[in-house]
Amino acid sequence: MSLLEDTKTNSISRPRYGCAIGATHTAAAIPGVIPITHCGPGCADKQYVSLAFYNGFQGGGYSGGAVPPSANISENEVVFGGDNRLRELIQASTKIMAADLFVVLTGCIPDIVGDDIPSVVSEFQQKGVPIVYAETGGFHGNNLVGHETVVRAIIDQFIGDYSGNKIKNTVNVWTEVPYQNTYWRGDLGEIKRILKGIGLKVNILFGHDSKGVTEWLDIPKAAFNLVISPWVGLGIAEHLQNKYNQPYLHIPAIPIGALETSEFLRKVSKFAGLNSKSTEEFIAKEEESYYKYVEDFSDFYSEYWWGVPARFAVVSDSIYSLSITKFLVKQLGLISVKQIITENTPEEYKEQIREEFRHIDHDVNLEVEFLEDGYLIEEALRTAAEKPAIIFGTTWDRDIAKELKGNIVEIGFPSSYEVVLSRSYVGYKGALSLIEKIFTVAISASA
Amino acid sequence: MKRINLAATAVESREQRLGTIIGWDGNADSLAEESGYARKCTGRKGKACELCEVRGPFTQGSVCSEQMVECQAGNVRDAVLIQHSPIGCAVSQTIYNSIYRNGLAMRNLPVENLKIVSTNLLEQDMVFGGIEKLKQTLDDVIERYNPKAIFIGTSCSTGIIGDDIDSVAAEYTEQHRLPVVPLHCEGFRSKHWSTGFDSTQHGILRDIVRKNPKKQEDLVNVINLWGSDVFTPMLKELNLRVNYVIDMATVEDLAQMSEAAATVGFCNTLSSYLAQGLEQNFGVPELKAPQPYGIAGTDAWLRGLAKLTHREEPAERYIKKEHARIKPLIAALKLKLKGKKGYVATGSAYSHGLIAVMRELGIEVNGSLVFHHDPIYDSEDPAQDSLAFLVDNYGDVENFSVSNRQQHQFYALLKRVNPDFILIRHNGLAPLASRLGIPAAPLGDEHIAVGYDGIVNLGNAILEILQRRKFHEDLSKHVKLPYTKWWLEQTDPYIVARNPQLIYQD
Repeated sequence: MSLLEDTKTNSISRPRYGCAIGATHTAAAIPGVIPITHCGPGCADKQYVSLAFYNGFQGGGYSGGAVPPSANISENEVVFGGDNRLRELIQASTKIMAADLFVVLTGCIPDIVGDDIPSVVSEFQQKGVPIVYAETGGFHGNNLVGHETVVRAIIDQFIGDYSGNKIKNTVNVWTEVPYQNTYWRGDLGEIKRILKGIGLKVNILFGHDSKGVTEWLDIPKAAFNLVISPWVGLGIAEHLQNKYNQPYLHIPAIPIGALETSEFLRKVSKFAGLNSKSTEEFIAKEEESYYKYVEDFSDFYSEYWWGVPARFAVVSDSIYSLSITKFLVKQLGLISVKQIITENTPEEYKEQIREEFRHIDHDVNLEVEFLEDGYLIEEALRTAAEKPAIIFGTTWDRDIAKELKGNIVEIGFPSSYEVVLSRSYVGYKGALSLIEKIFTVAISASA
Repeated sequence: MKRINLAATAVESREQRLGTIIGWDGNADSLAEESGYARKCTGRKGKACELCEVRGPFTQGSVCSEQMVECQAGNVRDAVLIQHSPIGCAVSQTIYNSIYRNGLAMRNLPVENLKIVSTNLLEQDMVFGGIEKLKQTLDDVIERYNPKAIFIGTSCSTGIIGDDIDSVAAEYTEQHRLPVVPLHCEGFRSKHWSTGFDSTQHGILRDIVRKNPKKQEDLVNVINLWGSDVFTPMLKELNLRVNYVIDMATVEDLAQMSEAAATVGFCNTLSSYLAQGLEQNFGVPELKAPQPYGIAGTDAWLRGLAKLTHREEPAERYIKKEHARIKPLIAALKLKLKGKKGYVATGSAYSHGLIAVMRELGIEVNGSLVFHHDPIYDSEDPAQDSLAFLVDNYGDVENFSVSNRQQHQFYALLKRVNPDFILIRHNGLAPLASRLGIPAAPLGDEHIAVGYDGIVNLGNAILEILQRRKFHEDLSKHVKLPYTKWWLEQTDPYIVARNPQLIYQD
């Protein structure tokens, strides 16, 4: 444990995640699904304007933003309970909103006063309304926790039991948390593309490449689950293993760049029992294209007069932190001077993440710090043994980057000075975009 | 007894003080008639008349009072705001940080992150209380930032579990000899978020404004947000200095409010409580005049301020000079904006001002949505009846609706008037307009339409966004809206509110 980890208190400034009800965005990320928030008047807006607007300006899409029905709970429901208010809101939502599935998410108020959400929602379920509920009061945890809660709610209350056959070569993918991970839309697109490339049928489940509710109903039929993240999604995969007897493959880092991506595809291919020849053919084709672009880039990288940054720090949630650090260290040959993981990682996963960083490359081992409070994060960067010339972080880190006379690349929540549409930083194609981003930032600030 | 009572730590909500409503449908003239001022309303004083409010079973997410505390108390430069809450309330530090940074940049102040700290309450705190964590965070904040003042904002959770923040604030004020200001702003306590403005202003009036002021006869408090500095050049013409509050002010700027010669604002919704608080408790007169929009409004506003500060002569010179300067500019814009139809969807009093400016520019405005309506402001002075001023000087607005950011209602409202563009300020409505092919000008710089130059500025901003119709129209052909066919067919946006039984029909 680092010295700064020892000085943690309950205080958190400049938060890098929302609370459990931020998982309205997990629901809204599934095409055709509309969240209903049973909470105070500001809860849904706070999460929206922060996670989906001032974070890459991702946009609310069909059912995010100011769209979700919300109880806007007032004093009356605090005193007398909110069951009737919720019942009326759901009834009205079925009349006014066009949804394939409603997901009711609760805020702190009903979770404290003890509204009976299960019984209100089950009245509608019994009438055949596609609707589930998730307990997501903010004091239960953050939006990464809420993400798993919502996914499990849909699995248990909407998809239900299944004992039929599995479909060969079909996979459910559990990886980035929609909206929290600023580049999730593009990243999921690239992950789906490369998995399809080696011959898998992919249930990507969220975003524009998902078929929505019909795809979710197919979850139990998949041959296996693929978790690409240090820990988020593992609970879901374990649950699916128990519920549907589905095995899962866990790969902690999202692959970035050809080295990592090709190795990733080989692992998946082997686990799925795919034809290794066609996997290698896809890899060869992708690598051919990838390395042509990298060759073009090498002119700049080898002889740009004014130099490019070598020392970097990453301040991010573990999923992006591990993935990006691997790429920068192993494939670009950059030097990590500080690694801070910010998502409030559950204790049981910390050691495994530390180990990943300790073996980041054959000649590089790194120590990570788990810090959530913006003040301590800034202290950690300020007191790093070596100054980072470039910080991969968030808008919160702009001030310290300026103070240390370094560059900032916003890669995580909140990224309030990035506009993100389909851009991805993962896989073969995303790696090229990441290279473009890093060095454009570095040299455009140079003169 | 004073109407603005600073004895209690919690502010009285808008609906208690002013009779605020968040749902209403009709025309502006009727709303002005039915509101509490003396215009026709039986001369009833004090509490506003009871307006007939339309509220139904279906609502979409709104905004809460705590957010307004966050974006005011959390944007005082050398103070720190503590959010006594679970982490979710703190997530919106993101938006208010971005706004703060861009506001600082626009005002040529050093750009920096805001300083807000959450006590980050967890499940066990809901059972055992969060006071110890609040004390820990207070200690952290004092050690780390050495602030000139600390605000403590409450949340729904801490309001329900009943944490006694007042006692802790008093204890720390005593111990550390700095203002530690409790702000009661639980979201569920008020139906409208503007109560959050009042909560912040109440705390500042109680604990920060200097009790033994040394008068500065040329200082004017300007209650604003993050807008560009348009008041300094205007007030300079009257040999007056500007004291901008609350956003981006220092604690000293807030303390010296009691020393000013007058208090003004750009929007009655925002400034009502603070301006009256200063007048009733510190003897600083509030300017009771129309808001500074359009020629008539700006003339009256300047004359009112000149009278309060005894600067009638320079004011008249300035008004004359500006009329001459602005006339040809407006005439040129009128030609370009001829035949255009606009719609305003903003905060309440701000909309009254914007409609005036648009009509000044010859733009047709036959519809507006406001997030709430205050039938009366804290001064209860008819001179501040901004809606009546609009109707009396610029005519009625046929479709004037109160709807608290209810996007589903906005759909039918837009269909009613079919505007060429809309003006907006808060988020959540423009995305729907965009999907219907209608461009929006988001007035991030709230001062854009203020004063004589504001007429020209707004005209130019509208010309810029009119061209963007191409983008939105193209998009509108390729989107599906999240509403049922039944809802999209309705022409009355309030049909469900008026007939709640409809939700039970197949």
